[in-house]
Order: sequence, then C-alpha cells, then structure tokens
Amino acid sequence: MSTTLSNINKQFGKFQALQDIDLTINEGEFLAILGPSGCGKTTLLRLLAGFESPTNGTIEIDQKEVANARKVTPPEQRNVSMVFQSFALWPHLNVREHIQFAMDHHRFVDLSWKEKGKIAERIEDVLHTVGLGDFEKRMPGELSGGQKQRVSLARAIAPEPKLLLMDEPLSNLDAELRMEMRHEIQKLHRLTKASILYVTHDQGEALAMADRIVVMNGGEIEQIGTPEEIYYHPVTPFVATFVGKANLFKGTWDECLFQHQGTGVTWEDYGISQQLKEKNLFPIRPEQIHLSKPVPSENQILGKVITRQFQGKEYHYSIEIDGTVIVAHLPLQEKFEIGETIAITPQFQTAKQAEMIL
Amino acid sequence: MNKDKNYESNQGEMRSRAISSVFFHPMLYKMIAIMLVGIFFVIPILRLVLMSFIGDDGFGLQFYQDILTDNRTWQVLQNTLFVVFGSTIISLLLGTAFAWIVAYTDIRLKSIVQLFIFLPFIIPSYITSLAWVQFFGPAGLLENIFDSLSIPITGWNLYSMSGIIFVMGISHFPLVYLFTVNVFRQIPREMELAARVSGAGRWMSFSKIVFPMALPGIVGGSFIAFLGGLDNFGIPAFLGTPANISVLSTYIYQKVIGFGTSAFNEAAVLSVILGVIAIIGISLQWLVLRKSKRIETMKVDHQPRYYLGKKKGIVESVIWLFFIMTSIFPLLSMVMTSFLKAYGLDFVWENFSLENYAYILTRDSTLDAIMTSVKLAGVTTIIGIVAGTVFAYFRVRKANTATKLMENAITIPYALPGTVLALAMIFTWMEPIPGWNPGIYGSAAILYIAYITRFLVLQVRSGITAFQQVDIEVEEAARINGTNGFGKWKKIMVPLIAPGILSGAMLVFLSALTELTVSSLLYSSESETIGVSILSFQQSGYTLYSTAFSSLIVVLIIAGYFILFAGQKAIRKRKVRSEK
Ligand SMILES: Nc1ncnc2c1ncn2[C@@H]1O[C@H](COP(=O)(O)OP(=O)(O)OP(=O)(O)O)[C@@H](O)[C@H]1O
Ligand SMILES: [Mg+2]
Repeated sequence: MSTTLSNINKQFGKFQALQDIDLTINEGEFLAILGPSGCGKTTLLRLLAGFESPTNGTIEIDQKEVANARKVTPPEQRNVSMVFQSFALWPHLNVREHIQFAMDHHRFVDLSWKEKGKIAERIEDVLHTVGLGDFEKRMPGELSGGQKQRVSLARAIAPEPKLLLMDEPLSNLDAELRMEMRHEIQKLHRLTKASILYVTHDQGEALAMADRIVVMNGGEIEQIGTPEEIYYHPVTPFVATFVGKANLFKGTWDECLFQHQGTGVTWEDYGISQQLKEKNLFPIRPEQIHLSKPVPSENQILGKVITRQFQGKEYHYSIEIDGTVIVAHLPLQEKFEIGETIAITPQFQTAKQAEMIL
Repeated sequence: MNKDKNYESNQGEMRSRAISSVFFHPMLYKMIAIMLVGIFFVIPILRLVLMSFIGDDGFGLQFYQDILTDNRTWQVLQNTLFVVFGSTIISLLLGTAFAWIVAYTDIRLKSIVQLFIFLPFIIPSYITSLAWVQFFGPAGLLENIFDSLSIPITGWNLYSMSGIIFVMGISHFPLVYLFTVNVFRQIPREMELAARVSGAGRWMSFSKIVFPMALPGIVGGSFIAFLGGLDNFGIPAFLGTPANISVLSTYIYQKVIGFGTSAFNEAAVLSVILGVIAIIGISLQWLVLRKSKRIETMKVDHQPRYYLGKKKGIVESVIWLFFIMTSIFPLLSMVMTSFLKAYGLDFVWENFSLENYAYILTRDSTLDAIMTSVKLAGVTTIIGIVAGTVFAYFRVRKANTATKLMENAITIPYALPGTVLALAMIFTWMEPIPGWNPGIYGSAAILYIAYITRFLVLQVRSGITAFQQVDIEVEEAARINGTNGFGKWKKIMVPLIAPGILSGAMLVFLSALTELTVSSLLYSSESETIGVSILSFQQSGYTLYSTAFSSLIVVLIIAGYFILFAGQKAIRKRKVRSEK
C-alpha cells in the first residue's frame, strides 16, 4: 500500500502552511520528515491522518482518494494510526485497556482475529513486543516517560495499520532514552512492516532511522533522498546547512572548478548540486575542514580562531574569515589556540570516492 | 482480503455521507443554534427595553417621565444604593479578611473553615433572612438566652435597613472570598520578602505590596457582590416588605403584582434602570478583571506565610465565634422555631412538636410546590446537561466569533437581575408573536423557559472547564483508532468530563430548586415553587410553617452537597491513580 500526496497546499487563513507538496510513501517504507520548527511537519501529518483538510491537491491512500479540497475521509475511516507527541494517553484507562480500545474500534483490524477470539492473544503479543508485559494493569499516571511512550506505540501498532504516523515521538524523552527508543522503533518497523511517516526536527534521528528523508523548510519540500544522499549531496543551501551543518563559501563556479571569492583559491567539484552551483556556493561540512599553520608564500584562505570547545573525541572551532564565521571539527591531536591565525583547506573525497558511499 | 472488504464498506459510507450532507450540513446546525440563542437569550431583553417605550399611544418617553418624576422612585433608588453599597462594604471587609487569613496564616481546620465560609452562599438568602430573624430578632433565641441569664436585652429589629444590609453582606461575602483567596495565594512570597529585606515593616509590606497586587481580585469580587446585591430579591422581600422598605427588585415586583394601569410599562422602565446599573457594574468588573490576567498564570502557593504563634488561639476563637453567631445559631434557631407548637413560646421541651412538619408534608399546596420545584430543577438540569455540554464542546473545540458571541448571549440572563429577566420573559412569552397568546405565561411553561435561560450558563461554564482539561490529542487518539461517535464518547470523553459536568449540574439543580426571584413573578396558581411557598407563608404570618419548610430545604441542600463531595472524592481517588 502506498500513499501519495499530489500538489498539496494548506492555508490557515492567509498563512500558507504547506506549498505544492508532492510526495509518495512506498509500501513498508520508513520515511522521515525533517525540518525546523514551524515548517509544517505536523500540518502535513495531520493532513495524512485526516484531522485537517487540504486547501488544494489530493491525497491517495492505497490508490483511493481520501482527501481533496472538497471532501475528506475522516481519520476514523482511514487505515492509519498515530503516535502523538504528547503521548495522548487516556488518563482513566490502564495499559491493557488502551490496546483493547484500539483493537475494539479501529476499523481495519484483521477480522480473523475478532472471529476467532484472538484479540486477547494479539494484545499479549503487542504488550510483549513493546516490553510492557508486566505493566498491563498500570494506569498512565503510574508509568515513566519511556513506558508511556511504549503504551502510545503499542496502541498505534496493535491494529496493524498500513500507515503509521509519528509526530516527534521522542521529543519528550531524555537523551539516553531517546537513543534506546530509536532502536525500539526500528525494531518495530521491521516487525510490523507498516509504512512509517516519522516527523522530527532532530537530524540525527532522521539520518539514523529513515529509509528516505524529506527535508522541509517554510512549508515546502527542499529535498527528498536517502540519508546518505541528503547528507553527502545536499541539493539546496538549506539542506546543506540544516542537515550537514555545512559552511557555505562564496565564489564563482566554472563547470567543475570553484574559485573562492577574495583569495582566488580553487577547489574541485565533489558532486555539488546544480542549484548550489547556480548560487555560486561551495558547501563544506565541519569535519571536511582541515586547519594548519599558514605558509607565508602560498595563496591560502586565512582565518582567526574565535572559540574552541572540547567535545571528548574532537575539538569544535569557530573561525572568523573576513567577517563571516565558519565551524570546523578537528581531531584532538590538532590543537589550535584562540586568537591564532590559521589556514583553511578543505579535505573531501573526490567525486568518485563520494559515489562509492552511495 | 478481509481488510479490503472492510475498506469497501467504508467507501460506501463515505458516499452516503456525501448525500446526507446536503440535508445535514454543519452550517444548518449552526444557523439553528444561533437562532435558538437569539430567540431565547437576546430577544427577551430587546422586548423588555421596547416595552419601556411603547404604550397605548405609541412610542415615547412617557413612562420614563412618569417614573422619574415620582418621588417614590427616588426613595427606592436611594434605598437600593444604601443596601447595595452597605452590603458590598461588609462583604468586601469580611471576604478579604477571611481570604487573607485562610491564604496566609497557619490556623487549623482550614477546610472546615472554608466550608462555613461557603455556607451562606449555598443556603438561599431568604432562608438566611428567616434564620437571622429567629436568632437576633425580638423573642428570638438570643433574647431567650440572655433572658435566662437574667440580662435584659431587646432583640435587633431585622425588619430594617440595617437588617437588610447585614444579612446581604453576610450572604455575599463568600463571593469576595472566592475571588480573592487564590489571588493572595498566587502572589509570590518573594515579593513580600523583598519588601521586608528592603526595610519595610509587616504592615508597610502588606499595604504597599500585597494589597495592591491583590486589588484586582478584591475589586472583582466586590463587583460580583455589588451585582448580587442588585439582583437579590429574597432578603428585601423578607425583611424589607414588613417595614415598607423597597429596593428596585422588590419595587418592580410590587408594580407587577399591583396590576395598576401601565404597571407593566412602569416595571419595564424600572427594570431598564436596574439593568443599566447592572451593566455598568459588569463593564467595570470586566475592565478590572481584564487587567488582572497576568496574575492568573502564577503558581498557587498553599503554604502558610504567617505563623500566628500565641495569637493563633485568639484568631481561631474569633473566627469560630463569627460562624456560631452568623450561621450555626441562626440556623439552629430556625430549626428550633420550626418545632414550636406556637410562635413566641419559650424554647423548652414541652413546647416542641412535629405538628408543623406534619402540616407541611400533608398539605397539597406545599407538596405541589415541592413537586413543581423538583420537576423544574430536574428538567432544567437535564436540558442543561445536554444543551450546555454540546455547546461547551463546540465552544472549546471550534472556538470562533460566533460561539463566543453565543456564550456572551447565554450569560446575559444570569448576569442580569432576576426581576429584570422575569419581566423580559413575561413580555416575550405572553404573546410570542403579537396577537397570539399560546398561554405560556400563566402556566408552568414560562417557568421552564425562564429557568433554562437563566441557569444554562452555569452548565456551559462547567462544561467549558471540563473540555479544556481534555487535551485535543487525547480525543484525536480515539478518532485515529477508529471511532468518532459512540465509542469515543462512551469510553473516552464521558468518563473524562463527567466529574466537571456533574458538579455543574448539581449547581444548576440546587440553584433552580430554591430559586425565588424569577418564580415570584412568573408563578401561577398551579406552579408555585418552594421559594414562593415559603415567601407566602412568611408574608401571611405563618412563621412556623415557613421555618419548618426552610429547615427541610436546608437539610436537602446539605445532603445534596454531601452527595456531590462524596461522589467527587470517589472519582478523584480513581484519578489520583491515573494522573500523569
Ligand atoms: N490551526 C492552525 N491555525 C493557524 N495556523 C496554524 C495552525 N496550525 C499550524 N499553524 C501554523 O502553520 C505553521 C506550521 O505549523 P506546524 O505545526 O505544522 O509546524 P511544525 O513543523 O510541526 O513545527 P514544530 O517542530 O514546532 O512542531 C506554523 O507557522 C503554525 O503557526
Ligand atoms: Mg509539530
């Protein structure tokens, strides 16, 4: 079952929350939507769930149109489920009753379960899958944050929806638990084989878990691609800076050669997108920057170290070059002092090496 | 496969929904709702205003001229202002003092103290009047007690201006308390500490820091007490009528039942005057409360800030003496009087009997009154639960200008003085369409309409609070799991909102059960209410019956609140287990 959004637009009054969204979620795919706060991620999710209606465009689930500007199939009639950012547990029902509710009411629960009285079995199954076997009688108030999240996940996967929507499901958890739950969710994805649409503003989460990532900004899709594509071959300046935290150098492009503005230093193309080239930009991620003591006779890009942060296995430097600040990550053995003038050289694979990764 | 079949049927459902949506378009419901609100809540007020201008010889200011040149009007206005301002000052002082003590000091038994603070609020003011007369009045319990100690005193004649002002002040101080106590608790204690370390003394820091910060609450509560004073009919009817002291609410009543020529028009003019005073009060209160918003977001701090030490005993004694004198003994006197064989006898065992209760509980007219009030209160509550909850749901989930305006409209009949509303009801429902009298006025029907319009807002408010506490995602979680109808409401929404809805319903029920102001103007021979029945006993001199009837009602009210609290406690117990 695939889900397709065609030319979706959503306006709140005069405010354009989503613009010309075209997107297909393939069967069994784990798709992450990544973007800064307010870019329309939740709105997109709510459109898919059926809580909002599009101003324009259509949504098809399993080749059937579920939403257009005039008519919308309500959430309860779609074969989807959702994990809410706030968990949205029902305070008066215990863990088991949460799953029971989903099994009783979700309209797409496999009928063979109901016919053979296998609902209880399914509930046990799900409880075990999420590791809540011993907690079925607990009320939401008696659970920790991570356990609440598991209940919320269990409730969503129990009816085996074809499409599972998750709105920043980990943002209410602490850093350690987030890491643990990443694994859990990946495991669940393998088990359920449902398509997952996963909303996050944490690029680490998206890169780690997703089959494909949709990067959004200001209500528009910037780029769709695999995590590797997004990370190594950002198409737009926004994706380069938001996902790879890249520094953008200004200069002029001449086919495969970039000439840095100001110094005239030239760099070779390593698979940089046409859009970036047209904008005469050259993106370099922090770990692609090499720093060294300047050599007086050579033509080099020079900068001054402003700050240095110790990060365990590396140092993070911010460096000022002609009034703009760039960021560089360097291994511990290469240490520079604040105020020091240093030379900046990029260190990246050639186009061929880069392709090998993909 | 199965799933696909399932899906097919859903598609069919979608199609049939599309067809039916032509007839059951949401717009249609919206229009109907707006129309109903207009007919029941807005038009009556307009007709009342119109009535004050239109007489037999057409539109004009004739009635205003008549009323405003009548010396009696000015006397009544003066009385009204005396009573309202006097009682508001008493409420203000008592309410603020109690709020400060409960919020800041370490007195014991705070929850019981609160209960007694609220007592005058939950007991109808006409019963409080009655109780005070039996205690403080001539030949009352107080006089009896002092007599038996051979100290000769004469009772306080409560049928006087001072009596009305005091009883009203006592009846309304819980309002000021209610508005102020949490404001006090929300003022961060650091504010005061900062003043103290800057060198201000206790009194200085109170008058310069705490009091100004609490002012919005105090002023807001005082305005409510002021409006309550304008609205109140029971106290001046019980205490003022025998002494020939009229205030606006009772004067309007006298005009209407006087049936003079142009009585209705003149009553309409007086109602407009009363309404205008009330609206000025409401607007001022709104302005003040709007400014106080920023305090509402602060944390409520329940820890005591002043440890009274040795003075604690004294403060507690004063508080309990106050309750004994204003609540316990008056109610006790009323109950004791209700057992007397004849009015004025000494309170000794030989003089007690159950005759008065036997009389009340066997007489058709009192039983009818109880039936009428119970039916009225029951129907008002049930319609309130349904209409009020549905409206509250849309008000919370689909907040827009239309629902906001509708909420304001629904508030009008409760905010306006009851006499004004009653008159508006008469003008509207006597002839809903000019020339057509379906007999609503003169039967019980008009009481049903009036009660529903008056009390609906209480249910709406509690419904709004209840729905606001249910996060939208909690509701959406039910929808995404396949139900937006019966399942969602039965298993998710109703259990979550029930406690709030039920306490609102209880408030509606008890308010309607003991209502007097509106029913005193709208009742007919076969629809006498409890309040009207007690009033008529009292006014015809049957004090024993009125005290017996009142005692019965007080017991019912206390039982009602007891059930409510016990129920809420049981629910809360379950909730504590399940809270996030
Ligand atoms: N019901 C609404 N009415 C008006 N504006 C809305 C509504 N819902 C969302 N918006 C606006 O649409 C934009 C996108 O909101 P959305 O909630 O989709 O952002 P988001 O990407 O999920 O952000 P976050 O990461 O902070 O959750 C925001 O500017 C928001 O203010
Ligand atoms: Mg969001």
